[in-house]
Amino acid sequence: MPKLVGVFESPGPVKGVAGKLQGRGFRNLEIYSPAPFPELDDALDSRPSPVRLFTLVGGLVGVVTGYAMTIWMSLDWPIMIGGKPFASIPPYTIIAFELTILIGGLLTVLGLFAVGRLPRIRLDSAYSARFSADDIGLAVECEDRDVAELEALLRDFEAKEVTLVEA
Amino acid sequence: MAPPPAESVAARIAPAPLQRDSKINRDLLSVMDPPSLKYFLLLGLAILGVVQAAATLLWQTWEGLGIAGYAHPIFWGVYIVTFVFWVGIAHAGTLISAILYLFRAKWRNAINRSAEAMTVFAVMTAGLFPLIHIGRIYKFYFLLPYPNQRGLWVNFKSPLLWDVFAIGTYATISIVFFYVGLIPDLAIARDRSTGWRKLLYSALSLGWQGTSRQWKSHNRTVLHLSGLATPLVLSVHSVVSWDFAVSIVPGWHATIFAPYFVAGAIFSGFAMVLMVMIPVRRIFGLEKYITDYHFENMARFILLTSTIVAYAYGVEYFIAWYSAVEPEQTAFFMRAFGPYWISTWIMILCNGVFPQLLWIPRLRTNVAFLFVLSVLINIGMWFERYVIIVGSLSREYETAVWGLYIPSAPELSILAGSFCWFGMFFLIFIKIFPVVAIAEVKELAIHERAHGGAH
Repeated sequence: MPKLVGVFESPGPVKGVAGKLQGRGFRNLEIYSPAPFPELDDALDSRPSPVRLFTLVGGLVGVVTGYAMTIWMSLDWPIMIGGKPFASIPPYTIIAFELTILIGGLLTVLGLFAVGRLPRIRLDSAYSARFSADDIGLAVECEDRDVAELEALLRDFEAKEVTLVEA
Repeated sequence: MAPPPAESVAARIAPAPLQRDSKINRDLLSVMDPPSLKYFLLLGLAILGVVQAAATLLWQTWEGLGIAGYAHPIFWGVYIVTFVFWVGIAHAGTLISAILYLFRAKWRNAINRSAEAMTVFAVMTAGLFPLIHIGRIYKFYFLLPYPNQRGLWVNFKSPLLWDVFAIGTYATISIVFFYVGLIPDLAIARDRSTGWRKLLYSALSLGWQGTSRQWKSHNRTVLHLSGLATPLVLSVHSVVSWDFAVSIVPGWHATIFAPYFVAGAIFSGFAMVLMVMIPVRRIFGLEKYITDYHFENMARFILLTSTIVAYAYGVEYFIAWYSAVEPEQTAFFMRAFGPYWISTWIMILCNGVFPQLLWIPRLRTNVAFLFVLSVLINIGMWFERYVIIVGSLSREYETAVWGLYIPSAPELSILAGSFCWFGMFFLIFIKIFPVVAIAEVKELAIHERAHGGAH
């Protein structure tokens, strides 16, 4: 299927045209931008990013591991230290805290990779070095018969260039 | 009318080549241009410093810690002082990247990358010192909870073990944070490089394309990492301070230690950021991106934390007097007038007095003054740890454990080596990775361009 790529200078119109295209039933849309723009975050998918779940799970695994490891190890070979209980919660809280951060942080990054579909070997055919310069790109996959109409639509929304690539 | 077939449209629309690269990319990527002879000389010097320290370390491992000037009753010396010093340096980077991010302080965009890099290198430096300090480096794994034939586990009630977990987590999370921020910029570099650099950036940027899905999860990731790193940075130096505060040595055993150390860490960290950024800005002509405004903001942070640190110095004396505990009072009297009086007065002048000059607005934007001040602060903060650690250990409760410790030549060689080690990584960093977070700077610039007329 052909793929049209519109090149834009600012994020506002991209959001507009993406909404319009989605309304018309085009599902294979992609936006490329050189910087994060709050306007574009929800342009294609308004659901909250699932990365948050990864952090939550990582943090919980960390805190449980922290307490379980310290308590189990202290009881595995009990040594009385300073008259304190073998499993002494206050000092172990420090270990549990650090592991919460450690595993929570690592799983967050795993979430970024999973949700952002990284790493990948090949770049999209619609991607261009311009989209890591100043321009914002919107790629839409369509039928042959829609090409001319979509080109006009993209230009209506201030696309300064429209390119056709084969998907 | 029937729409024209796709081919004809394709012929009509010229493929879009990359015309002129954006100015921000050109400016900020030019830092990575092939280095000059001076750069190589500097790098060579740094490597030489690392090599001499490595040789000393080898000698010390062979001979034992005796050559490090450790003798009864003082077994914590320059290595532990330097460890605390470098951990402290690391803190400003995390403060800038995480805490200022949560506060939406946009000015951090120009300096966060280099500050994060500094954090990573400072933690890498700091992490070596406990290992150097244990003498038998090859036994370092005794610090980790691993199953062994003796069936023994580590002592989780010891602050030294909390340290292992705190520093380990801090090192990992700061590297991860640094890398996540780098990915979009590495993609920018990938699109504009050839040869081995292209290969390196392609691999490291993981095929980043800046799709809205990627940016959205990237934003979320940075937000969560900031949320995790903020309590982490406060906890790390607190844990380091508990190495001391949890013992009963006079001069160490104080509840004020955690906040006092954290403020001191941020203080010295910002001084180090200034000390590194002032020459970098000058050499690479980044005045447009790293402005006097950034330096002034950092100067304000230094002023704030200097005041907190000076207050803590005062409170320590007050508590010693007010507690009516004689060993405590003696410890603080000896600090100011005992054998280590020079170190104490260096610390008070460099950390408590000189930075107060920043109340004068003109000095906050005077780059030469800031540079000199940042060097003085780094000296002062090293001596602060020296005073706390060595000074307190030299006078404990009984005369039998009174003594004097003087840093030995091997320790100074390794101390010098630590600065070279840090410098070496920073020098390599500025030629391989974008030294300013390009995507974040661009975010502001594109918005300005889009709304330039309207606002």
